[in-house]
Amino acid sequence: MSQPLFQLSGIERHFALGETTVPALRGVSLSIERGESVAIWGPSGSGKSTLLNLLGLIDAPNAGDLRFDGEDVLALDDDALTDCRNRKIGFVFQGFNLMPVLTALENVMLPLQIRGVATSVARQRASDWLAHVGLERFAAHRPDKLSGGQRQRVAIARALVVEPMLVIADEPTANLDSENSRAVIDLLQKMNQETGVTCVFSTHDPRLLDHVPRHVRLADGLIESDAHPETAS
Amino acid sequence: MNTFSLGLRNLRRNYRRSLTTLLSIAFGFAAVALFSGYTKEVYLGLTQQAVHGELIGHLTLSKRGMKQEGRLKPEKYLLKADEIARIAELVKQAYPTARVAPRLALSGLASNGKVSTIFLADGVAADDMLALRGPRRNASGALSAEAPAGITVARGLAALLGLKEGDDASLLVSTLHGQANAADASIIDTYSTGNAGLEDKALFIPLALAQSLYDADERADRLTVLLPDIALTETARQQLDAAFTAAGLDVEIQTWQELSAFYRQVKGMFDMIFGFILSIVLAIVVMSVSNAMSMSVIERTREIGTLRAIGLRRLGVVRLFVSEAVLLVGLGCLSGLLLAVVVRAGVNAAEFSYVPPNGTARMLLVVGLDAGKMLFAAVLLGGLGLAAAIFPARRAARQPVIDSLAHV
Repeated sequence: MSQPLFQLSGIERHFALGETTVPALRGVSLSIERGESVAIWGPSGSGKSTLLNLLGLIDAPNAGDLRFDGEDVLALDDDALTDCRNRKIGFVFQGFNLMPVLTALENVMLPLQIRGVATSVARQRASDWLAHVGLERFAAHRPDKLSGGQRQRVAIARALVVEPMLVIADEPTANLDSENSRAVIDLLQKMNQETGVTCVFSTHDPRLLDHVPRHVRLADGLIESDAHPETAS
Repeated sequence: MNTFSLGLRNLRRNYRRSLTTLLSIAFGFAAVALFSGYTKEVYLGLTQQAVHGELIGHLTLSKRGMKQEGRLKPEKYLLKADEIARIAELVKQAYPTARVAPRLALSGLASNGKVSTIFLADGVAADDMLALRGPRRNASGALSAEAPAGITVARGLAALLGLKEGDDASLLVSTLHGQANAADASIIDTYSTGNAGLEDKALFIPLALAQSLYDADERADRLTVLLPDIALTETARQQLDAAFTAAGLDVEIQTWQELSAFYRQVKGMFDMIFGFILSIVLAIVVMSVSNAMSMSVIERTREIGTLRAIGLRRLGVVRLFVSEAVLLVGLGCLSGLLLAVVVRAGVNAAEFSYVPPNGTARMLLVVGLDAGKMLFAAVLLGGLGLAAAIFPARRAARQPVIDSLAHV
């Protein structure tokens, strides 16, 4: 059996709120295999976003071990972590987080250009991914000219254009209606199956869980259940 | 999408704020450019007035101590004919095309036959005067080689004595040996000194007539040197100083800047005003750019978080904001330059005139372009604008990614 993509053990994360310390994660241990699709769910304040931030390497725990792709990422400096995110992780945010001054195509090209990929190559790959998510006709549109669902599909194309090992999606459907929510989750699942990219997303909507093979339920900063329901499509 | 292209789009996105910042830079730069252009023309005019108008030339050579004791012991400090010849030869060896003009200053009483008044005369040969006048050779007040007793008189002095061109005047002086001596001279022209203090006293007199009046044949109190180029002044001073020392001549050399107190005072004053204006402009630019960048950083905190999340290093964030500041300052300076060119053309076309301090006549307000000072100001503005952007940019770059993403 190959090495897991993620190996978390005894992860603790707390935040200072004035003079009070608020625990967000209280000793979480979790292993995520390559190519898995995992839904992190649970009520508000359960620690979903905190866990996703740690998995996305944009935050660090106060205690515990975190290995990503076989590497102790907590030992990396900021530049190395930033480069690791650029090469290996794609992000899909709840609020889409597209650059308003860039077109859909330029938004998708952005991670490649940050990496230093030649503009012509980046443009071609971004065009291909925009076509993949069905938005080739909207390549020249700025985000404010796109619907919520279209913006999230652009964000998904931006996450996948770097051919990452992992896509982190923090409540990607929170700002979408049910039809678009379903479409976005289906798209993430399709990409997971087609490209083998590992997908981890959080949601508080139990209806979306039907489409994901593994559910990790968090409550009060602890993993309450880690299930692989047979109903998953 | 390169950093500058992205920066330009972000500036356009907040075009009102960008425009306000850009205009403050443009007006500031235009003010600096116009003032430096004006002072450049003033310096040029003062230089020409000193070198060619007051006939100071580029270098003045005299016996060491002449300035302090020359009036008390003229016999000791006046240059003799052989000394004049040796000095001139050394100058010509170093600068073959240089002009060396013997000069002799006199003072005494000028009279129209009824009333007398003090005069300050400058003895110079007519052909030397023509050479020293350079671009001002056609101005009034030139001596003539064909009129050995012909003098030119400042208009104020002529008016004081009621004399005009063609009239005769008597000049009474004390000779080298302290005896009274007088000579008649005819006024061949009048001129304006441009200096209120000299306007009722100054006159030019042929060198030979001055030497005769002073009973100092073939002698001079100083030699005026006109070099091929004014830029050679300091080099020539050092070179000639060494040559005179090597030849055993105890000669003191003074440059035209040292002898023209008015030039030094005006330049000192204008340089100080320029520094003051530049300081104000720099303060405005630093505050404008710093404010614009700080606002931009706050408004785009989530974007910064997103960029950091998808792989932009901290330095990349700093570069992004610094590029915007450089663009703002660059475009501001460019707009300021265009504004300065337009205003300069308008001012020069309007032909405004004024009487300068201590002046006797109105002169045109002319604004030039001082490329050196404009470049200096642009580089300084760019540097400070960049420094003003770095602080908020660094703050943005160092913020934790999750805090940036959570910013509302």
